[in-house]
Amino acid sequence: MDYGHPLRFGLALTDHAAVARARLAEDLGLDVVAVTDPRTGEAGPEGAGVLEPWTLLAWVAGTTERIGLAAHLIEHPDRSAAVFARAAASLDLLSGGRLETGLAARHAPALAEAVEVVRALWDTGEPGPAHVDGEHHALRGAQRGPAPAHEVALWLGADHADADDDALLELVAEHADGWWSATSRPDELAARNAAIDVAARAAGRDPREVRRLVVLTAPDTVAERVDAVPVGSEPVASEPVDTESVDPVAIERIDADAWRHELVALALEHGVSTFLLDTDDDDLVRVFAQRVVPAVREAVASARAAAGVVVGVPAPRRLREQRREGIDYGAVPAGLDAIEPGHARYGDVRSNYLRGGRPGIVLLPRDSGEVAAALGFARAQDVPLGVRSGGHGISGRSTNDGGVVIDLSRLDDVEILDPASRLVRVGAGARWARVAAVLEPHGLAVTSGDSGGVGVGGLATAGGIGWYARKHGLTIDRVRAVDLVLADGTAVRASASENPELFWGMRGAGGNLGAATSFEIEAHPAQPLGFAQLVFDASDVAGFLERWGAVVETSPRDVTSFLVMGRPRAGQPVVAQVMVAVDSSDPRTVIEHLNPFAQVAPLLDQAVQIMPYRSIIVPAGGPHRGEGEPVSRSSLVRHMSPEVAAAAERVIMTGATFFFQVRSVGGAVSDVPPDETAYAHRAAGFSLTAMGVSRGSLDPRWDELHQHADGLYLSFETDPRPERLLDAFPPPTLARLRGLKDHYDPDDVFSANFAVGSARTGHLA
Amino acid sequence: MADYGHELEFGSFITPTAGDAANVVRLAQVSERAGLDLATFQDHPYQGRFLDTWTLLSFVAARTERIRVAANVHNLPLRPPAVLARSAASLDLLSGGRVELGLGSGAFWDAIEAMGGRRFRPGQAVDALAEAIDVIRAVWDTEAAERLVVDGEYYSLDGAKRGPAPAHDIQIWVGAYKPRMLRLIARQADGWLPSLGYAKSDQELADSNARIDDAAAEAGRDPREIRRLLNIGTLPGGLQDWAERLAGLALEHGFATFIVGSDDDDVLTAFGEEVAPTVREIVARERG
Repeated sequence: MDYGHPLRFGLALTDHAAVARARLAEDLGLDVVAVTDPRTGEAGPEGAGVLEPWTLLAWVAGTTERIGLAAHLIEHPDRSAAVFARAAASLDLLSGGRLETGLAARHAPALAEAVEVVRALWDTGEPGPAHVDGEHHALRGAQRGPAPAHEVALWLGADHADADDDALLELVAEHADGWWSATSRPDELAARNAAIDVAARAAGRDPREVRRLVVLTAPDTVAERVDAVPVGSEPVASEPVDTESVDPVAIERIDADAWRHELVALALEHGVSTFLLDTDDDDLVRVFAQRVVPAVREAVASARAAAGVVVGVPAPRRLREQRREGIDYGAVPAGLDAIEPGHARYGDVRSNYLRGGRPGIVLLPRDSGEVAAALGFARAQDVPLGVRSGGHGISGRSTNDGGVVIDLSRLDDVEILDPASRLVRVGAGARWARVAAVLEPHGLAVTSGDSGGVGVGGLATAGGIGWYARKHGLTIDRVRAVDLVLADGTAVRASASENPELFWGMRGAGGNLGAATSFEIEAHPAQPLGFAQLVFDASDVAGFLERWGAVVETSPRDVTSFLVMGRPRAGQPVVAQVMVAVDSSDPRTVIEHLNPFAQVAPLLDQAVQIMPYRSIIVPAGGPHRGEGEPVSRSSLVRHMSPEVAAAAERVIMTGATFFFQVRSVGGAVSDVPPDETAYAHRAAGFSLTAMGVSRGSLDPRWDELHQHADGLYLSFETDPRPERLLDAFPPPTLARLRGLKDHYDPDDVFSANFAVGSARTGHLA
Repeated sequence: MADYGHELEFGSFITPTAGDAANVVRLAQVSERAGLDLATFQDHPYQGRFLDTWTLLSFVAARTERIRVAANVHNLPLRPPAVLARSAASLDLLSGGRVELGLGSGAFWDAIEAMGGRRFRPGQAVDALAEAIDVIRAVWDTEAAERLVVDGEYYSLDGAKRGPAPAHDIQIWVGAYKPRMLRLIARQADGWLPSLGYAKSDQELADSNARIDDAAAEAGRDPREIRRLLNIGTLPGGLQDWAERLAGLALEHGFATFIVGSDDDDVLTAFGEEVAPTVREIVARERG
């Protein structure tokens, strides 16, 4: 019985020479090294005079680069399954996803509980703490995580050959990714494989979900045994071998032909796909790696080709059960990294900053070719599509429920193309914190938003209102070219001279027209700049807003200011936090520009620093873990007029918002003609945003304020009502965008975020 | 008692963020390049956002050459002492004697229980720590001929094999504040590892030191057998102010190991390359 699993060969490490032997294994091109508990006859992690296996494995991970790492440790009361789960995930993260791990049973029921604990803690895609009600291993509301870096295969087996009883084999059949066989005797393998296969089918699993592993000992006994067992495979051709590194005596001593025959038989007759050699003889290791393994691979490959066996490991039942309707998981293009519900990394990619998501599959292309492949796959599925760069977008439209998400985070190169013209190329999946960090040593920056966790692609196609807005304009105003993949998979470049109309649309409505993969941006010179955080008593809310707005508008363009107010608290003054960026490293100039702000209202607290741009933007942080649906509204206004300020006061004082923010725009942003980009609201001086708990409480209040608005900034808007589209894109802009849409995306593939609809139908998607 | 005359050491305390594992390892390497003696990491095994501390220590030790590693401090209720002893000795052997052992009696009992661990009352936790230190030292003691038997209330060994013996005398440092724990340190530990941020005043540090000294003398130990270590943050003022403050803590209160909590390259580098040499210089001058 050949299950068609890829073959892997490695070493079981046992003693003090393990470290050197692991490196030898890596140098010889073997696939994996494994540690096990010392064979002292004592159960569990106790054992004298030898190295503690997990410590050894972590050390080996640190002293190797490539080779796979495996542990097979005995389940034991002194070995907390919960701590083991975190340790295993940690080693996978530290080693760059090289771990697979296993537990050996003293007692099947205890092992079953340990497995449940391990899987529960790894499953960070599930919200809330983990509970496992076990007698031997339990979790009572434990935090999940860390998730491993990749799908860590869990091998289960017996702690000695006689313990492969029915209960254990059933457990293997139901829960294991691999069976760590305690025997390599063909007759025992055959019987136990059969038992596993029967139990696997009974549990709704494909027996091929369970890989099979044996530990091999010295080959002279192997040779004896091979005589007793008929081998049904083709004779193995002799391989040329680098004999210089092998002791000739060792070659003579070892009957390599017989050994090859036995391994081929184990693979083809008994479905064994992972072979671990347990030896302290380095010559034997060399013979194994150089004379035996290549020949076995070749013989098995040709036998499989002849028999039409497809090589691979099917997705396990626990993943298949979580798959979503309408997605053909088998059709994911080969080589494209894909994360499904239940995968270790799903918790890191399913949600956005503020919005929870449960996509059916997340694709992580590495280049524009893979983006095209991902788009081709997505178009063939009858589910929603989201394209995500950083996933920070307030509306969170780049994730979904049951759909496809194309996550561009791997396209994250940041490169200076030409220091003289300050031209930089930035991948769509890079985050602005890294862009700032890479550019700072060169005395450069690109104005972005206020958070370093925001991705380049979303911001650089929508607008980008940041700390240099009044001086250097929007982020899109610095973009000189965009490379993107169109809905039909074509990679194109848009700039003033290439596809200029598309270039126009990509700056302000890019999410409608294609998947941007990289941007050429003209950075601006940057020096450490003054950054003030001022806290005001803003009890006179409307008056405060008006006065602040007036100071902003009369300040030079070196000054950009943002303002944040929360929900008023009973019995406390209404407080406003004002941040002011002053593009100067001279403290006197900074203070001079700050002075007018200090007059706006009673100052409760202040902090002023000269700091680099990268330190001003909020650090990127870890993966997004948003839950639920965010509620936010946006308005762009010309001035903080008495009408706007009064309406804002009503929004704030009714408690309809818990986060109200104003960002100064104007300045250089207003130098750009409205028809120069698809972001048309060039006359606006201020961008107002509010986040609320519910549409019902926020919308009526905000609608009043919005009467005084010229439009909205689509990145901060979650209102689904169709009239918002015209707020985002005034009629001339919308008409042009629909023309582009009909040309570049006639099937409306990119429809998740402020879909412009078609010029042919006038239909709002 | 003021200065115990210990050689000064300096270390880092790096957040073991699981989401940025490569950077955690890199910060330990930055610590080594900055000339620091120790890279330490907190151990909260119930915390899903952190890397497992033992695994991290082992990996970091393998990816560094000279710097010593330690937990700051291990959560004993989730780290069975016999396993911890064998693990520490193993890593000490692998790393050429670069492991020390920081121990704590545990806190956050709800979280420990959530992990399937055992909840101790405060008094029990102290007793358990005392037993644990006995277990650890007994496992390391491969010279002893008698059967390894520990019949404790919390940890028992009945004839388990001893070993491996570590490559060097692994220091056992205990993070603690309460009088019973300080007495335990005086009797059983090689070092006291409090955090400056938790002390209300220097006087409190002096009082605790005096308590340890008295209890050590009572137990027939020289108080100088117990190193005084201190977790610190970045201190106000310039690097010179920082160094003078630490020199004062060394000369007046006998602290000889200073561990700075920071994940910032610049801070770790300044601490190793500028603060540490200045403190050493001041202390050497004053010690004469």
